[in-house]
Amino acid sequence: MTFSPLFHAGAGPLEARLWSALAEINDPEMPVNLVDLGLIYGLTVDGGRVCVRLTFTAMGCPATEMLMGDIRDRLLAEPGIDDVRLDVVWDPPWTSARLTAEGRDALRAWGLAV
Amino acid sequence: METANSGALEALLKRGELVESTSEMTPDYLRELKHTLLVSGDTELISAPAYYLAARKAPSVNAFMTGIAIIQDELAHAHIAYHILEELGESQEALIFKRDPKAFRYPYAFDVPLESWTELVVANAMYDQAGFCLLGDIHEHGSYGPWKRGLVKVMAEENFHLRNGRNWCKRISQAGGEAREELQRAVDWMFPLTVEWFGLPDNLKQHSTQLDYRLKGLTNDQLRQQWLATVVPFMESIGIQVPAHKEGEGYVLDYPFPCTFDADEKRWDFKDPCSWDAVLKRWRARGPRNAEMVALFQESFAKFQVRA
Repeated sequence: MTFSPLFHAGAGPLEARLWSALAEINDPEMPVNLVDLGLIYGLTVDGGRVCVRLTFTAMGCPATEMLMGDIRDRLLAEPGIDDVRLDVVWDPPWTSARLTAEGRDALRAWGLAV
Repeated sequence: METANSGALEALLKRGELVESTSEMTPDYLRELKHTLLVSGDTELISAPAYYLAARKAPSVNAFMTGIAIIQDELAHAHIAYHILEELGESQEALIFKRDPKAFRYPYAFDVPLESWTELVVANAMYDQAGFCLLGDIHEHGSYGPWKRGLVKVMAEENFHLRNGRNWCKRISQAGGEAREELQRAVDWMFPLTVEWFGLPDNLKQHSTQLDYRLKGLTNDQLRQQWLATVVPFMESIGIQVPAHKEGEGYVLDYPFPCTFDADEKRWDFKDPCSWDAVLKRWRARGPRNAEMVALFQESFAKFQVRA
């Protein structure tokens, strides 16, 4: 499991499953998943509804719709989830400090200085 | 320019080593390498105006940004090929801005106008997949070091284009109705154009200097099969029909290959097989959008040329 212990701390089994599901979605170009990239700020579950708070690396990210579509599809594939709300926030802004250790290793191995 | 003798080059290639400088090339290797780079650069470059003219039809702001980002990638990929050509003694400026539109060496498919967002995303799913197969082969098997290394990042970025194409194709297919019919129509004319992208079938292409020099590693038919093996199952998985099916280990086309194509109507006549000579003639004459697209990036160059 390669997601952030910071955000994952205290999550119940369903939340943990949803975090894992999100960690299956990769950035479109870099070999790192959205959780390790530090884009997912938090998630809450209320009945069958999951609300994900997330950001993107830049406001000009050309893949926001693609990634939001992928997140929605992936979470809806989880048993018990029938509604996905996405809350895109820019504060706090994403910086490379949000990468998990695994994310950092993956990007370094790929040749990025992080 | 100092060049190697063919024995030394042959031995180097046989050892599986990379060519790093012109001093290790024979004049013939250099010519073939330049030709291969030119086709690659021209293909990436022309995809920019081809995609741009369709990206204007994007259905949302972010979709437009995606289209523009893809175009930006393609221009950068073109630059890699032209930059290497410059290092090999060609003038980048002359190649890009001073060539006759008909002298460009990109696949004919780009000359047929992409006129909607649907056609653009089908191009991302099929044309970029073709580019992925061809460049992936050069990245994996290519004998020229500087190009091979330049392609590492190109492959990663092409992934983004494929994902955009596939996500949208799936989404449009799921929407059903008129949107899905438009998708099917786009695939109907674009699929056979991409099949012919890979060139003459192996049984007609007796000898490939590119393979001898390891400028590529796979034959036209092997690359075509690789493309079919990704595109056919994908299109079938989203409920879109394609004129090919799996038979044994490989894929078989359900229409005579090659056959005639009406570029203005964007229609194939599967009942009218033709010769490869006729196809080569169509390619050489270029298609409807050739001059318009080349003019898009050549027009202002002359006007704003500033000399130090």
